[in-house]
Amino acid sequence: MDISALVAQNYAAGKAATLPDANSGGAAFASAAEDFLATLQASENTAMQAMTSGADPHALVEALAQTELAVQTAVTVRDRVVEAYQEILRMPV
Amino acid sequence: MTDFSDAISVATSGMKAQANRLRHVSENIANTDTPGYQRKTITFAQMVQSGEASGAVASGPMRLDQSEFTRIYDPAHPLADETGHYDGSNVNLLIEIADAREAQRSYEANLKMFDQVRQMSSALMDLLRR
Repeated sequence: MDISALVAQNYAAGKAATLPDANSGGAAFASAAEDFLATLQASENTAMQAMTSGADPHALVEALAQTELAVQTAVTVRDRVVEAYQEILRMPV
Repeated sequence: MTDFSDAISVATSGMKAQANRLRHVSENIANTDTPGYQRKTITFAQMVQSGEASGAVASGPMRLDQSEFTRIYDPAHPLADETGHYDGSNVNLLIEIADAREAQRSYEANLKMFDQVRQMSSALMDLLRR
């Protein structure tokens, strides 16, 4: 068997695996990002109210803690994704 | 992640309820010497969200203690009747102090839970970091 035929076959099989899947995690990621944005906005609004109209300090602390949780999760996931991407780029071809 | 944020909201609701209770206790203590003042009490109830109990607590409506007023002897007081007595408040300072202490302990417990949840979530995230 010719080696180039084998390579071409492997390449075709490998290419199919890297094609973007239409209904993969894209929608889930978008909803997670929206959730994150909503948490951030709620916390900003509560902080603003606490400063201007004297909202309940408990609500402020709760909103800030929720934001901290969300930001921590987002940053950690982002770091992992970037790291994985760089790992792929460093792969010897 | 939702369990963590739910736990945070529940702990916050507990702190809010205890703060509300402490406010009423301080009102009672401030009005110990007010003639005819009825001691205020509040009740706690589970918060209901969209038909089912959410697990959070809310302080219920304020109620007035209907017990007898203390009779205070002071003939010089403008409210004094012919026997020289007038109706004081029905606040018992000892009960109020005990109530305040209980509110403080419950508040601390909720605060501890709040901190615990935060620590647990950041420990989970530390697992992913290296």
